Amino acid sequence: MYLLTIYIQVPPRNHQTSPRFSTSFPHSPQALNTRTGHATTHAASPRVSYLRLLLLSRVLQPPQPLLLRSVRFLTRSLSSGPAFKFSTAQTKAHKQENEMSFATDSPVHSSSSDDFAALIDAELGVGSSGSSSDEHDNEEEEIDGDNDDNDHEENEDDGEDELTDHRNKRCKIEKLEDQELQGSTSQGLIEEKLEVSLKKDICTHPGSFGQMCILCGQRVDDESGVTFGYIHKGLRLGNDEIVRLRSTDMKNLLHHKKLYLVLDLDHTLLNSTLLNHLTSEEEYLKAQSDSLQDVSKGSLFMLDFMHMMTKLRPFVRTFLKEASEMFEMYIYTMGDRPYALEMAKLLDPKQEYFSGRVISRDDGTQKHQKGLDVVLGQESAVVILDDTENAWTKHKDNLILMERYHFFASSCHQFGFNCKSLSQLKNDESEPDGALASVLKVLRQVHHIFFDELDSDLASRDVRQVLKIVRKDVLKDCKIIFSRVFPTKFQAENHLLWKMAEQLGATCSTETDSSVTHVVSTDAGTEKSRWAVKENKFLVHPRWIEAANFLWQKQPEEKFPVSQTKNQ
Amino acid sequence: MFFHIVLERNMQLHPRHFGRNLRENLVSKLMKDVEGTCSGRHGFVVAITGIENVGKGLIRDGTGFVTFPVKYQCVVFRPFKGEILEAAVTMVNKMGFFAEAGPVQIFVSNHLIPDDMEFQSGDMPNYTTSDGSVKIQKDSEVRLKIIGTRVDATEIFCIGTIKDDFLGVINDPTTA
Repeated sequence: MYLLTIYIQVPPRNHQTSPRFSTSFPHSPQALNTRTGHATTHAASPRVSYLRLLLLSRVLQPPQPLLLRSVRFLTRSLSSGPAFKFSTAQTKAHKQENEMSFATDSPVHSSSSDDFAALIDAELGVGSSGSSSDEHDNEEEEIDGDNDDNDHEENEDDGEDELTDHRNKRCKIEKLEDQELQGSTSQGLIEEKLEVSLKKDICTHPGSFGQMCILCGQRVDDESGVTFGYIHKGLRLGNDEIVRLRSTDMKNLLHHKKLYLVLDLDHTLLNSTLLNHLTSEEEYLKAQSDSLQDVSKGSLFMLDFMHMMTKLRPFVRTFLKEASEMFEMYIYTMGDRPYALEMAKLLDPKQEYFSGRVISRDDGTQKHQKGLDVVLGQESAVVILDDTENAWTKHKDNLILMERYHFFASSCHQFGFNCKSLSQLKNDESEPDGALASVLKVLRQVHHIFFDELDSDLASRDVRQVLKIVRKDVLKDCKIIFSRVFPTKFQAENHLLWKMAEQLGATCSTETDSSVTHVVSTDAGTEKSRWAVKENKFLVHPRWIEAANFLWQKQPEEKFPVSQTKNQ
Repeated sequence: MFFHIVLERNMQLHPRHFGRNLRENLVSKLMKDVEGTCSGRHGFVVAITGIENVGKGLIRDGTGFVTFPVKYQCVVFRPFKGEILEAAVTMVNKMGFFAEAGPVQIFVSNHLIPDDMEFQSGDMPNYTTSDGSVKIQKDSEVRLKIIGTRVDATEIFCIGTIKDDFLGVINDPTTA
């Protein structure tokens, strides 16, 4: 990167000219500003400065396109552009006389430009003290030649310097386009290519929007990176950019004492059914549904235009409100996009929780899988709430598995339950100690441990470790043996329940001894079950472990009795 | 930038429109067909301002439809690289912000937002300077410079920057 310093200063006695000059000027210093740091103004006249620029551009090899452009600009502002009438007049005069002095017959700003011309005259005299006037003339001719070429090139350049060129072209859009399409001179094309290759060296194309680089505006056609269709159509980010965004966002978020929370919709926060799947026993719901005018109060909605009925899980509003204070929340659903947006509207009518962070199956990168790659959050800080473990094969450690919420009968059937649904029983999950309430407690605990209890550096903490710690606490100090739970010849250690129990902090064993606290059995008649009753140990159904797994809490053992099976 | 240009289009007209009001029908159909569309060449057609001339109709064999070549004047809008535009912010996120100037969607990446402006998340995400004097959020109006354009069949995408002199917020909805 070249740090380029341009010296331009209009002395105070030329007050009338200086504003005019500065208003026309932003074009080049701006362009310079973006890449070359600061353009400082100092001394000499514009003419001297463009000569200096030219000299600089010769010193710096290879020539920088920006530099060229600013030379061009200055050249034009002195010699060609009709907007700079006074200087044009001066330059013409200067050409005629072929000397280092300006004529004083400027038609526009006679008095001020006279002063200006005189000043330039004087300044040039100083500036050229080391070189002969012939040299200057040669240089100027060269620049004029360059300038002509540049004009060609810029026409093709999709309006690179559109604003200045428009003066000349007015509204000849047709002409402009023809030139764009065909390309006029080979030299122009070469120069353009040169510029493109130089720019490519500089720009890493961190991402694209509508197939244009978000940094330099060039067309990019590569398909690398991840699309973020849920944020805006046509947005795609490269992997490096995602990493960068995640780490900056992480700092910001940790500063606000927040983590990320990815929420599933169906069976986790709500339950939906198609209207024509409603059973006759559920018809009464149609009359009970809440108005869509003010969705913030209701929980049962009939969405006629989608042919759907949706029931929000009890406690969900409180849950979202409280969770939003600890987490930046995403919705991630396997439903399609219109459905996801509609549900987001029901859950978050004021758009205060999710604000565009709604991901549907159309936005994922893998079919039938959910992935954190489209979530702009570091994996070590994401907690996922979902009812389907299989959807998150890569991110099981981040997952808090939810007990499925089946309100409608069709949803029960879908998962093969033949029992009556909550809607048929005219019942619902309990608000104060339903699944969402218990999971909110877990989230609070996770948040508390992450921010207040861990000793390590904030950035190196991992919420997955915290989740493990919290989970290990659930069945702490329990020693479990299983009886008639696993099929014979099945490696007990590999069974789901065994693993689950160990994750929950229990120790599992195959042998009875005095340290055992719980016997998990499907049958009260087995030897181990009878031993448990005799030794006054807890005898519980396998569901006891599952319930603890879902509710993140040791459940009262009495609630899970083991019955005697008939054939015993 | 807006242009007032003359364009030509072949209009197919159903025989039921023939009669006294043929011309009116032709014009209203033309407006319906053309206004609001995009072409890579001319940009977005904002409005038809007049009909230059309607050529001779050609009856199509078999259908009875008639094709008229119509020359019409219209106002088109096409953004150019380097152009300064004023746009309304539609969405702000950690990647930058999206803005609209009429039909044109403009994305300004956070690389092209001045370095002293930082992203603030929350229910109203925004970019704010450290002293809080300038804030870009949804519905703010910004002046930006186009650095890249792409014209689709139906949409115009642009990349913009506000990392330059004289660019940035021109109207803040919170103070207005």
